[in-house]
Amino acid sequence: MYYPEPLAKLIDSFSKLPGIGPKTAGRLAFQILRMKEDEVVDFAKALVNVKRNLHYCSVCCNITDVDPCRICQDKTRDASCICVVQEAKDLVAIERTKEFNGYYHVLHGAISPMEGIGPDEIYIAELLKRLSDERVQELILATNPNIEGEATAMYLSRLVKPFGLKVTRIAHGLPVGGDLEYADEVTLTKALEGRRELS
Amino acid sequence: MFLNKLSLTNYRNYDRFELETSHQVNLFVGPNAQGKTNLLESIYVMALTKSHRTHQDKQLIRWNEDQALLTAEVDKRYGPVRLSLSITPQGKKAKINGLEQRKLSSFIGTLNVVMFAPEDLEIVKGAPGIRRRFLDMEIGQVHPGYLYEVTQYQKVLVQRNNYLKQLASGKSANAAMLDIWNEQLVQFGIKIMKKRQSFIKKLQVWAERIHAGITNGREEILLEYRPSFPLSEEEDEAMLFDRFMLKLSQAKEQEIRRGATLAGPHRDDMVFWINGKEVHVYGSQGQQRTTALSLKLAELELIREELGEYPLLLLDDVLSELDPYRQTQLIETFQDKVQTFVTTTSLDSVNMEKLRDSAVYHVAGGAVTEQAD
Repeated sequence: MYYPEPLAKLIDSFSKLPGIGPKTAGRLAFQILRMKEDEVVDFAKALVNVKRNLHYCSVCCNITDVDPCRICQDKTRDASCICVVQEAKDLVAIERTKEFNGYYHVLHGAISPMEGIGPDEIYIAELLKRLSDERVQELILATNPNIEGEATAMYLSRLVKPFGLKVTRIAHGLPVGGDLEYADEVTLTKALEGRRELS
Repeated sequence: MFLNKLSLTNYRNYDRFELETSHQVNLFVGPNAQGKTNLLESIYVMALTKSHRTHQDKQLIRWNEDQALLTAEVDKRYGPVRLSLSITPQGKKAKINGLEQRKLSSFIGTLNVVMFAPEDLEIVKGAPGIRRRFLDMEIGQVHPGYLYEVTQYQKVLVQRNNYLKQLASGKSANAAMLDIWNEQLVQFGIKIMKKRQSFIKKLQVWAERIHAGITNGREEILLEYRPSFPLSEEEDEAMLFDRFMLKLSQAKEQEIRRGATLAGPHRDDMVFWINGKEVHVYGSQGQQRTTALSLKLAELELIREELGEYPLLLLDDVLSELDPYRQTQLIETFQDKVQTFVTTTSLDSVNMEKLRDSAVYHVAGGAVTEQAD
């Protein structure tokens, strides 16, 4: 053991984080050692609070400190539309566009038999409960455009058929502001498949 | 296209090597373990930035050196191109006309080659997986979207097989979910099947002509696409979609029992027939070799159709395996059209009269000397 135990423990904790190897963990730990005590206490509190004070919103399953979450409490939003995303990060990404004014639902994952994740492991039952609200008219499926995200979207669209809602899937294709010639063949093919008529 | 000049620095067993080539046939002659195949390999590496023999680029660098450098001057239909590729243990840098390419993929395909090496016999003799890989590599060169479809298909397959195992063990009983995996599997699967079918059809046209040429019309070759369930030419994607779905629903019980997907392009095969007999069962060693050769040469013609000019032909230790008649025919088929690089251990087995304008190089211990006419 080269480090005194408290330091070794801290390094070990840091190295459990994604993208942090033993060397980076060591550097972070020494940085903590150099910080002022009240700064370190704040830091530690922030860590504990994120675990203690955050939970899933009882409506949309987003991560929140109040229940229902701030988005679900916002009465100015459009109750006719629910946008389904895989992760809370995806919700933030869509929220940043400031273009979507409906409510969200966070699944916390996608169906993937390989990882043992079936429909019951993600928050689909919670979504179904919300659909009996007759104000809901449209469900936007914004899961990732990969095999698992696609499977989840397909599953949901079948599952909600009895509700008679409009179910839509987000488009995939060309990035905005890019030149056509730089797009790779697969993306371009997708963009061609998803073309639409100009009115 | 023609490779005019090739120079190697610290490549394999060559410290410095320069070659001005003939536009016809270039013969590398020498005993075993002198570096003949290394020369062919270096041309292959110039074309594809990786070797056909190893995945480890480090092996391409001469022992105890830090970097290998390959440069080439190529005459293409639209003009001359200078290529350079440096290989270090950290990575590769590729330049076209002195301009460094940000992606290796923009360098690949500037020089085009078709290589025929002894291990290609496995395409005929080996397991179906080798033939599927052959198909995937060749189709992938022509259709950029094809390889994406293959990888997506593989991913769905893994998920679906996992799901079937869960159904078998009773961990899951959601039948709607199987339909979804079916739909995705079929969606990618039919695209792959359609492309393989049309590729084999195109390959057949050329292989037929070439094989008849090499064998003086004595042998008739037929390439058959053999998917996991019969597929007719006329079927469009919608019909195929329905049939594949039906196939999966019929196999459902069995699939759940075995925990594996039993129909689809991952179980495709390709069968070669000569004069009505299956080559890999009834063909002689020589017939199997000629079949593999006809396939490769047909590929050469397909690439010409795509590019408008012939790629280079690299033949590694192949001549000695063919009888004199087949040798002569092979060389005559491509002489005057395709720049060819051949390795052989001895000139005795090569019909030199036919090889007019060919350049002969003697290779010994990493040194190459050109034979005077």
